[in-house]
Amino acid sequence: MKTLFHINIRTALAALLLSLAPVLSAHAQQDSRIQMGALDHLAAKASQTVDVNIDERLMRLAARVFDDKDEDEREVKKLIANLKGVYVKSFEFETEGQYAAADIEPIRTQLRGPGWTRLVNVTSKKEGMLEVYLLFNGDVVGGLAVLHTDDKELTVVNIVGPVDVDKLARLEGQLGIPDLGIGSPKNKTKNDDEK
Amino acid sequence: MKAIATKLLLVAMFFTTANAAPAKGDDFNSVVKMIEQFYRVKHVGIPFLAKAGMKIGTTAARIKGGQARRIAEAGSIKLAVFEDQDFNGEIAKFRASLNDALTATWMPLIQTLSPQDEEQVYIFLKDAGEKINVLVITIEQRDATVVQVTLSPKNLALLLKDPEGTGKSITQEATINDQE
Repeated sequence: MKTLFHINIRTALAALLLSLAPVLSAHAQQDSRIQMGALDHLAAKASQTVDVNIDERLMRLAARVFDDKDEDEREVKKLIANLKGVYVKSFEFETEGQYAAADIEPIRTQLRGPGWTRLVNVTSKKEGMLEVYLLFNGDVVGGLAVLHTDDKELTVVNIVGPVDVDKLARLEGQLGIPDLGIGSPKNKTKNDDEK
Repeated sequence: MKAIATKLLLVAMFFTTANAAPAKGDDFNSVVKMIEQFYRVKHVGIPFLAKAGMKIGTTAARIKGGQARRIAEAGSIKLAVFEDQDFNGEIAKFRASLNDALTATWMPLIQTLSPQDEEQVYIFLKDAGEKINVLVITIEQRDATVVQVTLSPKNLALLLKDPEGTGKSITQEATINDQE
């Protein structure tokens, strides 16, 4: 009877752990997933809105279809092999002042959260402000976010999963990621306007 | 008693119908119907266009026969065209309805909205084993197209590398006579 009781407890615990596994896994993924829904209201003012959603299912699909024989596709395939998703939200406005700092605050709040580090902060009168953030899980990069703000433009890019920062430029212009000139960011904070 | 039972049955039927996701079954037709209901418009059938000697009809026929295939798999194309009708306003509401209807079965890849020009482009994907189904919905001020095609892995790679450009190509391939 005691044995049966222990077996039942063990079975119940195993079942509980199994049932929690997807939740725990989803929670781990959410760490580097930036919620961008708070920006949706800007779509009404924008002259153009672009939303790219490549979730884990699509990432797996992408990894399956990229051809190893094609050098370019092989490189991208390697880069995305362990990624959980790529999300882009971009707004273009006809005139200046269509969005305020308060509109971006929900994004910045998330990027001030634990684990996130601002790697690049470049400001220029012509190009606006480009910020690159990395989420570190210990020593491992668990995700990346790019925030590009300009008088008439706002773009947020979120790559979920381990990113090879040195090869990040390879992903620009692919998978709906805009060419923001991120290049190979190094630890730097620059302000062109101060020059 | 019988009257109450009938009323209850009717209420139950109403809620069953009201809650039914329109995207179940043939999603292509559901989307076409959704556009028709939302914007109070009517799509034009391909045979009618072909009869009228329009580009769309001849090209679609060719693609179906496989002669003009570039991106879409031969015979896989489904096309609905809305011509010279009003697609005014409520882009956000339409987008929400479309996503509600499709995201359970389709994966949204890219959505581009230009409210001022009243243009909307939506690309959804659905895994179909070896291949993939792609649904491209393009709505402009006066015209709209809904295209569903099946892509090979090679062409899916093209779409994933450049979703916006390849999405446009899919619609163009379905609606423009390539011999011109």
